[in-house]
Amino acid sequence: MTGVQFLFYAFAAMMVFCALMVITVRNPVRSALFLVLTFVSCSAIWLLMEAEFLAITLVLVYVGAVMVLFLFVVMMLDININRLKEGFVKYLPVGIGVAGLFGGMLTWLLYNVEAADLKTKMRTMYPPSAKPADYSNTEELGEVLYTVYVYPFEIAAVILLVAIVAAIALTFRRRTTTKYQNPDQQVSVKRDDRLRVVKMDSEEKK
Amino acid sequence: MLSNYLPVLIFLIVGGGIGAVMIIAGFVLAPHKPDSEKTSPYECGFEAFEDSRMKFDVRYYLVAILFILFDLEIAFLFPWAVVLDKIGYFGFWAMVIFLGILVVGFIYEWKKGALEWE
Repeated sequence: MTGVQFLFYAFAAMMVFCALMVITVRNPVRSALFLVLTFVSCSAIWLLMEAEFLAITLVLVYVGAVMVLFLFVVMMLDININRLKEGFVKYLPVGIGVAGLFGGMLTWLLYNVEAADLKTKMRTMYPPSAKPADYSNTEELGEVLYTVYVYPFEIAAVILLVAIVAAIALTFRRRTTTKYQNPDQQVSVKRDDRLRVVKMDSEEKK
Repeated sequence: MLSNYLPVLIFLIVGGGIGAVMIIAGFVLAPHKPDSEKTSPYECGFEAFEDSRMKFDVRYYLVAILFILFDLEIAFLFPWAVVLDKIGYFGFWAMVIFLGILVVGFIYEWKKGALEWE
């Protein structure tokens, strides 16, 4: 076993262990921290596959942004842990059923669908040869991402746009309790909006 | 290429090792005499008012989501900046369209007032 293989198994074992801890630990804050560790080990595995840009982006985006915000939310949120644990036994058969279904589908897919083709592929597929020290994965990625895969790249922009609009549509509420002045309305107000002259006959004193 | 990352691995091992040694040494060497006063949460001299967990404004979520979206946008800029001299004007305009689509979203959230906290 080479050093790289050893590192792969070490990080893979750490990842599986942390992923299990995410769903078994009682405290949600610890669960979120284990998810951070899962992402870190995943990025180490990607690095071993020499996908350095993806590995660093995973740490930058998920560990640096998503999980930190997630952690804040988990720390601040008013979660009743005991209520969440209720019904574990009740839902257990359904959970096992769904897990079994997916596991069965995957196994069936691996062994039955084009089995011969897949097996020959698995035998003939070798990991790419180790890259030289000055190899830049970022450069390699950039050369195809903005030329060959320009269409999926623009679709990514549209998806991000949809996410922006959806997040605003779902959670943005204009405050009704806060009072503030709107200068536009103040300036454009007309006399008729504020003042009503009432014509009436003069009345006599009785 | 992987040998470039050997210092990072050594750093990880040393950092993790120091952290583990600190915690284990503290756990093994320090005296353990907990009582209810020591283990209860405290708030700088007075009794704690309430639970630290509370319901909070959903607008925090909105700010967080918008931050992450633009964080992702930045992640697309890095490889582009590295290979800009190789991909030519096609790649340049591809990124301009990408940014243009996201600027539409930015204008939308600005006009909608989602960036204002009040």
